Amino acid sequence: MLLQFIANGLVEGVVLGMFALGFSIIYNSSRVFNFAQGGIFTVAGYIVYLSWKILNLPIGVGIMLAIIGAIGLGMLLERLIFYPLYRQQSSPAIVILSSLGSYLVIVNLIVLILGNETRVLRSGVEETLKLGGGILTKIQVFGGCTALILSVLTIILLRHTRFGITLRALADNSSLIAVLGLGIQRLRLLSFAWGSMLGGVAGVIAAFDVGIDPHVGGSAVLIGAVATILGGIRVIEAAFFGGVIIGITKNLAAGHISARWESAVTFFILLIVLLLRPQGILGKRGRLEEI
Amino acid sequence: MSYLLHILIMCCIYLILAQSLNLLVGYTGLLSMAHAAFYGLGAYISALLMVRAGWNFFATIPVAMVGAMILAVIVALPSLRLRGDYFLLATLAFQSIIFYLLYNWISFTRGPYGIAGIPKPEFLGFKITNVPEYFLMSALITGLIFLIVGTLCSSPFGRVLKSIREDEFVVEALGKNTRVFKIQAFMTAGGLAAVAGSLYAAYVAYIDPTSFTFDESVFILSIIIIGGTGNLKGPVVGTLLMLFLPELLRFLRVSDPVAANVRQIIYGALLVVLMRIRPQGILGDYQFD
Repeated sequence: MLLQFIANGLVEGVVLGMFALGFSIIYNSSRVFNFAQGGIFTVAGYIVYLSWKILNLPIGVGIMLAIIGAIGLGMLLERLIFYPLYRQQSSPAIVILSSLGSYLVIVNLIVLILGNETRVLRSGVEETLKLGGGILTKIQVFGGCTALILSVLTIILLRHTRFGITLRALADNSSLIAVLGLGIQRLRLLSFAWGSMLGGVAGVIAAFDVGIDPHVGGSAVLIGAVATILGGIRVIEAAFFGGVIIGITKNLAAGHISARWESAVTFFILLIVLLLRPQGILGKRGRLEEI
Repeated sequence: MSYLLHILIMCCIYLILAQSLNLLVGYTGLLSMAHAAFYGLGAYISALLMVRAGWNFFATIPVAMVGAMILAVIVALPSLRLRGDYFLLATLAFQSIIFYLLYNWISFTRGPYGIAGIPKPEFLGFKITNVPEYFLMSALITGLIFLIVGTLCSSPFGRVLKSIREDEFVVEALGKNTRVFKIQAFMTAGGLAAVAGSLYAAYVAYIDPTSFTFDESVFILSIIIIGGTGNLKGPVVGTLLMLFLPELLRFLRVSDPVAANVRQIIYGALLVVLMRIRPQGILGDYQFD
């Protein structure tokens, strides 16, 4: 039984970790605490549902459309809302409220057009795989692997390519980047595209695994934010590990305490981290006013 | 007519919520997302004391306030060590934990079933039964709270809060313990929000946890962000606008569930647009820096 919870937790954790990585890339490069990432997660899930179940397009096409849609939406938000605010040198509070506002608009537009009920993409009973005492559905295995591959690729990109290194430099000191003459506008846009792509893929996997409803992105983005802080600030990749830890803890809590408290666990973790180690597990301490 | 009074009673409740949050956000510069938790705690303390222990409504209000003040200290102590986005996230965590407690601690709060049969308020043998009488009571209590907040804001205490908002380090240098002031601001805001909760519980006679979610916190915050903070006028404008605006949709014959969505879309869009063109809100004195 314990193995089963750990297996489920690992799969959920890897997907959460990928989503958190997307959140963290955006947050570190542009200081946008992007609630709208939850909207992107939801939109991607709905695009798959619509193109596959309603328009009867092949499943691969649906997934492609969903990812393109997620990237497009992320870039659109950056161009329309966040970059102009950055130009005005708005405070973090103003940025966060704007992202909350855009999240509200996205989610309620979805409810308005498609209704509030949960949509399920699975049909009936799933094929399962036995893996050393734990049972996982095919979708869980496939989704988990996809998330793991994309996350590892992202981490490699961040560590070893010119673009990744520039992005980390931007996270570290944006004014210096401007002085060096690297285009902040372009860098931000790319980080939004990339972060939204990871968020969109997470939405697609979740839609296949547990179905999709308009409010599912809200809890995802909160977990993403908590994972970013738990992993550690100023270290973009740490968010992935934060997500994995939360995934496993949630499932263990569901198994050992009760499923009712599963959602509350995330926030308990957050409070413990904020109290004991505000910079996170792998984080570096910054100056007082930056924590 | 009684429908208009119903909206006015809700306005009173939200005026108290907005004005108390204004103390934190507009005067002290602390963006808190835990306000619905204090509101909910006040509602639940009053409701439980009235239903389970047969207390008089007016006697439950001070208990609700004290309970919320204790919660305020619990929220403030860890949150105040953090800044900016982190502070906001910490208050959000408390908001969620309180909601899950109300929702899952079934033996005590009846969880998702809520608490029904909350009796009507009684005062020296005079029972408040109909909507006009209830409005009168809410208006009186709201007026009293406005007096309290107004007096506080123009007192030396209020001036210290404002100076913390402008530059905390200067206030520290003047020998004031800013942490203590911030905790006091939290306690005042929390205690007053609990009064709104008590009023709400007695008015609707049935409460359940879904009225006190994260969304509710966002809504109260939107009211004062849109109306403007840092003075007493902003929250009033915000409340009237946000509570009467949806009623226009009713005139346009929009069905209720659709109206609820359109309302949220309007709030969201208002937030986005205002943050861009007028970050201090409609009548605000203060923009977050």
